[in-house]
Amino acid sequence: MSDLKLRVKEMIIDRLKLEGMTPDQIEDGAPLFGEGLGLDSIDALELVLGIEQVFGVKIEDEASGTKAFRSVEALTAFIAEHRKA
Amino acid sequence: MTDIPGHLPHRHPFLLVDRILAREPGVRVVAEKLVTAGATPLPGRPVVPDTLLLEMLAQTAGFLEADTLHGRAMFLAGIQDARFEAPVLPGDRLRLEVAPEGAFGGLMKVRGTVTCEGREICGASLMVKRP
Repeated sequence: MSDLKLRVKEMIIDRLKLEGMTPDQIEDGAPLFGEGLGLDSIDALELVLGIEQVFGVKIEDEASGTKAFRSVEALTAFIAEHRKA
Repeated sequence: MTDIPGHLPHRHPFLLVDRILAREPGVRVVAEKLVTAGATPLPGRPVVPDTLLLEMLAQTAGFLEADTLHGRAMFLAGIQDARFEAPVLPGDRLRLEVAPEGAFGGLMKVRGTVTCEGREICGASLMVKRP
């Protein structure tokens, strides 16, 4: 697992208080919302705030969110693309 | 002076904001609530229930919206990290202060504090569904 992907998974677990869950249990390609992790709109806001705080990347609108929240894989790629070097 | 009933749809006895002290929509709101002896709902116990402190903060958060909420209600969707430090009693003058932490997908997270004479009484983060 790449360092960034691991940090993304750790941020998700920490921010959403998914107690007892480990990064290994989150599948890279599984959807974050609905099926997969089963997150909801409140979790989405929490993740947007977490991503900004931890990685300095803003998710400005729902279109970016839809793209970024497709999976951990997609979110990691979104963060890698948008964060300052 | 802000027209409170003109902005919020709540009415007595559930209108829990008395006065707006400072207001910058989208940035911060400071409001005031005076607690009176007849307005504590628990028989024989003259304290304001902690849940009403959260409702005071939620109503204060309604003033972060620039437009009136009549016909466009905001809904409280979640509460996080709520702490209650001291009881609130008749005669207390409460200062209610809220500021947004962020927003996404029609939801806003707001950090709120209730203080009385400079002492923190309650702090909480609220998730609200915006109108």
